Amino acid sequence: MHVPDGLMAPMVAAIGWIEFVAVLAAAMWITGRKNREKDLPRIAVLSAGIFVAQMLNFPIGGGTTGHLIGGALFAILAGPSVAIVGMTIVLIIQALMFGDGGVTALGLNALNMAIIAPLTGWGTYTLLKTIMSGGAKGHGSRELVAISVAAWASVFVAAAACAAELAVSYAVSSGAYGIAPTVSIPAMLGYHAVIGVGEGIITAGILAYVWRVAPGMFKSAEPAPVRTTGIARILSAKTLRASFAIVLVFALALPLYFLYASDGEDGLERTVTEAGAEEGEPLTAAPFTYGQTYFGALFAGILGFLSVSLVAIGLLRVLRGVRTEERIE
Amino acid sequence: MNLLEISGLGFAYPDGTVALRDVALSIERGEKVAVVGPNGAGKSTLLQLIAGFRMPFTGRVIVSGKELKESSSDEIRRDLGLLFQDPDDQIFMPTVEEDVAFGPRNLDMDDIEERVLRGLRSAGIEKLAKRQPHKLSYGMKKRVAIAGVMAMDPKVLLLDEPTSGLDPRSRMELIKLLKGMDRTMLIATHDLEAAAEIVDRAIVLNESVVMEGTLRDLVMAKDVVESAGLELPPISRLFKVLDAMGYPIDSLPVSMDQAVAELTMVMDRNGKHVHAHIHEHDHIREKAKAEHAHETR
Amino acid sequence: MTVGHLRGHGNETIQIDHHSNASWFGLIDSRAKLVGVLSFVVVSATLTDADLIVASLAVALAFAAMSGVRAAILIKSYLVALPFIVLASISVFLFVSIESGINMWARTSACVIPLLVLVSGTETFDLFAGLRRLRVPAVITTLLMLTHRYILVLSGELARMKVARRARGFRGGRSLLDKYGLKVLSNTAGMVLVRSSVRADRIYEGLKARGFDIEMHAWHKTRIDSRAATLMACFLVVSAALVLLQLEVIA
Repeated sequence: MHVPDGLMAPMVAAIGWIEFVAVLAAAMWITGRKNREKDLPRIAVLSAGIFVAQMLNFPIGGGTTGHLIGGALFAILAGPSVAIVGMTIVLIIQALMFGDGGVTALGLNALNMAIIAPLTGWGTYTLLKTIMSGGAKGHGSRELVAISVAAWASVFVAAAACAAELAVSYAVSSGAYGIAPTVSIPAMLGYHAVIGVGEGIITAGILAYVWRVAPGMFKSAEPAPVRTTGIARILSAKTLRASFAIVLVFALALPLYFLYASDGEDGLERTVTEAGAEEGEPLTAAPFTYGQTYFGALFAGILGFLSVSLVAIGLLRVLRGVRTEERIE
Repeated sequence: MNLLEISGLGFAYPDGTVALRDVALSIERGEKVAVVGPNGAGKSTLLQLIAGFRMPFTGRVIVSGKELKESSSDEIRRDLGLLFQDPDDQIFMPTVEEDVAFGPRNLDMDDIEERVLRGLRSAGIEKLAKRQPHKLSYGMKKRVAIAGVMAMDPKVLLLDEPTSGLDPRSRMELIKLLKGMDRTMLIATHDLEAAAEIVDRAIVLNESVVMEGTLRDLVMAKDVVESAGLELPPISRLFKVLDAMGYPIDSLPVSMDQAVAELTMVMDRNGKHVHAHIHEHDHIREKAKAEHAHETR
Repeated sequence: MTVGHLRGHGNETIQIDHHSNASWFGLIDSRAKLVGVLSFVVVSATLTDADLIVASLAVALAFAAMSGVRAAILIKSYLVALPFIVLASISVFLFVSIESGINMWARTSACVIPLLVLVSGTETFDLFAGLRRLRVPAVITTLLMLTHRYILVLSGELARMKVARRARGFRGGRSLLDKYGLKVLSNTAGMVLVRSSVRADRIYEGLKARGFDIEMHAWHKTRIDSRAATLMACFLVVSAALVLLQLEVIA
């Protein structure tokens, strides 16, 4: 999913950078509250580990292979804020070591793979885990299923974000940038739905191994204190934070949606009026109108439905969980 | 003057397991001391503690006149050279010479150029200066780590299992290197043979100090050796066999040098003759007199 | 994107070890290179005028030719980035016009090629050090340097693990339905992660024992000499010209 330069519309890339820097700064601030000096080598080595784990090819079938993105894995192992920082480091290294992924596009690539993927993975995992195992401790097979689903979701949602960015770039620039939504959405979502399965299985496999061999190894040196009183406990409850993470993911899409909504119509009108002056004939009659409104509806629909349902699950869990002990790890 | 002075030292891990109990140790300038003991005895922990990475502890640790506390740990580290078992844990830069310069650079020392050269020379790796560390062999990487530490000119070297994982030749070369260095050192190891070649004395550590003395004294203390799970160096084992065969020895040599000295002395004593009757199957008339030597364990 | 994803990153260990100092380009101060190349790439990414795109592509290719970086490496890296570019170009080609499709291809290539030259022709550590000197926060650049160092260490370990696996007959899984294959893969990856975590405390101590204070001080600091300044100036001038032309400030 590493997008090169020159593909995304400058406006979209700029929004990507702004969101990326904002969230990264927040993540760095959160990790910095603990003993940052000691955590630096830990984050570095873990990032190196994820990078190397990404080098493993897993077979899809028919001779093709895919590879791990690792956003969900990172977040489940070390928490979402560390994962955001670490995945960012991995992406920068990939860009500056191999030219994998552009520099103007780094904002968007990081948004997709270093922010959306870990947050979605962690949020989904946390919420699903509490639903499936009812708050019981321990790492059973149900938890592994939760991990698989979460990892799949992390890939899929990140791909959806990428597809959305491409589509918006396309709409906003009337075809000068991006990829038409009728191509980008099915291509990205279809392909990554399959890749996500591999990611899901392998992420679960890796975590099963790690938890068997070295449980608790990746958590930070000093555990945060358990808050036991009223509001503070509700606010610091993991499920609430997980819900927030999911909502944040979809909130990140909002600026893009507004950009699309404001420019989309104009772009379309502009194209239509300028059609006579276009130098080349389109080879296919692109179902423009249908494509773009469909995209808009789909977009809003997914955003609304998923965030509402996940928040609802989260709140339900919090309300039920007020009685039981909820430790912050 | 004692460069390292430890008294009443105790340390337990956060989960309560006691690692060190009432440890006392003094090292003078120029001395080389080994800390031997089984795995989990606390040898590595002791070294890490002296370097200020294990706090809080009970007792006192004084390095070069300065007492080790949370506040003084950075300062004290400037006088110490800590070397880990795995050199990859302490090589950070893309080339060897850059890595050797890392310490002096961080500590803002002057004449870095010269320090790097001295460091490389002391480890015998001038030729590797421009190489990339991840391409070097394990033994060479250990030397890079040594060079990096030596470039900071520490007062005391703390070495954690320096000979582990080395092939025989690299091991001998490293032993020679350390033996020839004029530097105060504390070596944690279970390689008694290497220790015998390098150090003046040793302490046996198993949470607390079980015994202290020269290595020759150590190998004579059978129960200490056993309970510490130590393996006698081959030289010592050979002389034990000789001892069992009636060969007169006062103490077991632990190094080649000592063994040769011992043999020479005995040969001189007996007019250049060594009677040991080992080859009983060769001399028929001596067969009756032959003694079977068994090394009893 | 599709094929690029499919290949995985396994091939890149070959490139990790290349020596960038072979060409004149490798010896130039990395700050100059970063400022020059990045400004050019940023500008090129914003171009929509067909003629300007062609011009920037020409500049990019000229730069690649002059840099002294081996063509084989550049071509190989370019092919890796190609699929995404092709997908975009074809979609534009189908939905808008052939012309626009070609523009898309040319523009992305004009951006990708200079970046590839930069990263292939410079030691990665120097790039990070250059970023630091350009005021990127120390936390980020130090993390980059340490992570990069340990990628080298861990990928060596991974390579050994893979050899050990093959020596015991493992030939890689066949598909996502190959449970055993996936399990071996997960365990290998898990091992890499566990081993990486075990090192963490020792690394911290190793760093502190040598006076580390978050800055990874490079020993030899490069200066911006006339060659570096010229290179940077060339890029900046070209970029400025392209911007001005694109915005139609100048004819």
